[in-house]
Amino acid sequence: MTLLLDMVTTAAILFIVAAGLLAIFGVLKIINFAHGAWLTIGAYCAVATAGLGLNPWAALPIAFAVGAILGGITELVIVRPLYRRPLDAILATWGLGIVIGQLITLWFGRDVQFTSNLLSGTVDVFGVGYSLYRLFAVAAALVIGLAFTFLLEGTRLGLSAQAVIMNEVLARALGVDTARVRLATFIVGTGLAALAGVLLTPLTSVDPNMGVAWLIGSFMLVMVAGSSFSTLAIACIVFGGAQVLVSTFVSPILGGITVAVLCALVLRISPKGFARA
Amino acid sequence: MKNRAVILAFASAALTSAAFAADGPIKIGIPVGLSGANSVVAPSVVQSAELAVAEINAAGGVLGRQLALEIADDASGAAGAQKAFDSLVFQKEVNAVITMETSAARNAGLPIISKGDIPYIYTSFYEGKSCNANLFVNAWVPEQQVPPIVDNFIKTQGAKKFFLIGSDYAFGRGMLEFAKAYIEKSGASVVGEEYLPMEGSDWTAIISNLKSSGADAVITSTAGGAPNVTLTKQLRGAGVTIPYGNLAVDEGTAKSMGADAAGIFISASYVTSIGSDANKAFLAAIEKKFGADLRTPNDLSVPEYEGIYLYKAAVEKAGSTDTAAVLAALAEVSFVGPRGTVSMSKQHHAPLTMYLGQVKADGSATVVDKFEGVDPGQQCPNL
Repeated sequence: MTLLLDMVTTAAILFIVAAGLLAIFGVLKIINFAHGAWLTIGAYCAVATAGLGLNPWAALPIAFAVGAILGGITELVIVRPLYRRPLDAILATWGLGIVIGQLITLWFGRDVQFTSNLLSGTVDVFGVGYSLYRLFAVAAALVIGLAFTFLLEGTRLGLSAQAVIMNEVLARALGVDTARVRLATFIVGTGLAALAGVLLTPLTSVDPNMGVAWLIGSFMLVMVAGSSFSTLAIACIVFGGAQVLVSTFVSPILGGITVAVLCALVLRISPKGFARA
Repeated sequence: MKNRAVILAFASAALTSAAFAADGPIKIGIPVGLSGANSVVAPSVVQSAELAVAEINAAGGVLGRQLALEIADDASGAAGAQKAFDSLVFQKEVNAVITMETSAARNAGLPIISKGDIPYIYTSFYEGKSCNANLFVNAWVPEQQVPPIVDNFIKTQGAKKFFLIGSDYAFGRGMLEFAKAYIEKSGASVVGEEYLPMEGSDWTAIISNLKSSGADAVITSTAGGAPNVTLTKQLRGAGVTIPYGNLAVDEGTAKSMGADAAGIFISASYVTSIGSDANKAFLAAIEKKFGADLRTPNDLSVPEYEGIYLYKAAVEKAGSTDTAAVLAALAEVSFVGPRGTVSMSKQHHAPLTMYLGQVKADGSATVVDKFEGVDPGQQCPNL
């Protein structure tokens, strides 16, 4: 039972972390390698919120807003000229990630920071005591997934975004302001990344390099998932589950590389990953 | 032949100028993990060193010479340590290295110490059995730290089945290997032993294995800082309430972890609540010097303070900073510091008084038990 819960909650955490990256990759076709830095920004928003003496939950909207604003500036200044040069975009965002990491170090110092827990303690699930926060993570992942589906399927912006995903030239010819769609997508993606950073704080320590560890895993998952949130969910469940199984029954050290190895295998066999359907 | 004569002339000129420069400060190199895993504790180590040097200089220095610190960031790892040691030993030409570092950084620095042939006082607790003619250690090894926790868990808490969790590196594995042998020798059993890479942050599967193993006590030995915090958060999040001995937490870290750290058992040669006059004087002096910026003195920073005083005593006994003479003296001198009388007399290691503490909700540690003059055992029988 615990094993099942471990698999589901691990998948949920991976989904939360990778969602912002997928949003940007899906529409803009560029990989935001500064994603890890935005996770870190979000986590430090939680630190700052605690420092101001506000309710820890207030960090969620604050981080989303901070992440979104910084994301908007980044899109306008750095990313916009690079859409036709995806390799340069990788370099530029990777460099930006390093710059942000150093700025955070200058501001907060290199130390590990501490934040108050959003939820602590355990609840009984079918007779097993299980971490309340990890269960909350599943709910958070569902909310993020559903909100995104609604945004894509139920709003004008989502419709435009889908048009851009399918055929950008045609969308522009039909009068869709693609530049605005791109800006909005980048803002949502970076806002989500910062939000994920806050959601990670009860599980990890907060330090200037915390985002890097999560970047590679989310990158691999997004490569496999393509541009759809449902395939991302499937990828998270399959690979997160595999990670828990390997960690539990073989070795946690091998478990740490499971996601990367399996994703590489899947992409080797099926270059489009899970996105074929 | 002519070339050789020129080199000799230069060498003797260099030697003479070195002799003339003898009135400059004695330089102490401190490669320390200002970034990376040790970044939580490194500032307190630097403060300890600064206090010791300020006190010694105010009292007239060592053999009439002032002390000067050269601090370098070793990034808590081997690659950074190579750069830091190289620059300290060969560019800054320090007279000695006195520092607290990760085991990876120490192992990377030792060949450079041997090549530069200067004394190296290692002030961090570690997994033991690091032997080098130039290396002295004034902090504890597993033989001194593990028994207080295991004895208490077995005798007082009635623990029979232990689960061990660590970071996958020399210190983590070394500590837990010793703990395992000691637990089994004491008549209890080890039902699980699991490791995660140092940069790993997902302890989920290990914690589930711990809960299903039926263990009634857990002992962890992670890298200091981030991995320790992450593991403790996730253990508490998963509702683990069995006796929890942490071989790598210090009071400073415990304080900032807040409620999650409460109840953790620690075994240390230093806790702030030691009641001796030397400790009270030390605490007053360091509070006066750093005020609001003070990092809580701890089991990794206080040995740094004492290490510098031990070096001072050795240089005074040797009558110079000559390496061979200082190394011979280091094995004989002693210093009465916050942790009591410390002398690195046992195969380059130091017998120490050990304290078993339990972390309270406010992060300070209550002393549960005290073990005097705990012997480091056979660390380096060939030295």
